[in-house]
Amino acid sequence: MANIIQWEKDKGAALKRARAEKKHVLLDFFNPG
Amino acid sequence: MGAVTYPDPKVVQFIRDNMVPIQVLFDAQPIATEFNVKWTPTIITLDPEGKEHHRTVGFLPPEELIPSLMLGIAKSDFDQEKFGEALSMLDKLLKEYPRSDSAPEATYHQGVSKYKSTHDAKSLKAAYEKLQAEYPSSEWTKRAYPYRLI
Repeated sequence: MANIIQWEKDKGAALKRARAEKKHVLLDFFNPG
Repeated sequence: MGAVTYPDPKVVQFIRDNMVPIQVLFDAQPIATEFNVKWTPTIITLDPEGKEHHRTVGFLPPEELIPSLMLGIAKSDFDQEKFGEALSMLDKLLKEYPRSDSAPEATYHQGVSKYKSTHDAKSLKAAYEKLQAEYPSSEWTKRAYPYRLI
């Protein structure tokens, strides 16, 4: 497995995963500039 | 965050083990408005239903991000009255990152979580005494000040 964070891009998909994996969600707002 | 903190192996491992990460642009809609984001980086801990429990704004190095995320998870568990799980994460935070900026707030919530799970008010006084001894200038020591009288 790659040693990088595998970011979700969609909140709905992230919450669905969180419920299935019984984890919390890290929501990061970033500015690429 | 993207250049220094997120590539850090300990950060990658912690997030992989404990969280589902989602990254969005600061102006992505409707989510930026939903969470009232005005500055970056803004990092929010959500429970699996999407409810916010903890937020930080501004850069955090790896040794501060991990305890901040631990605190967010603990606060989420506390808010959901999972006091044992909250205590477990707070104990781990204070053992592994006792000098982090999250440690004083974690100490406060450790005392409150113990009180909520045992109804023994001495937990609150013990939290104040620990805060006074280890983090005397913290705002969390001031917030716990009334507990000295217990």
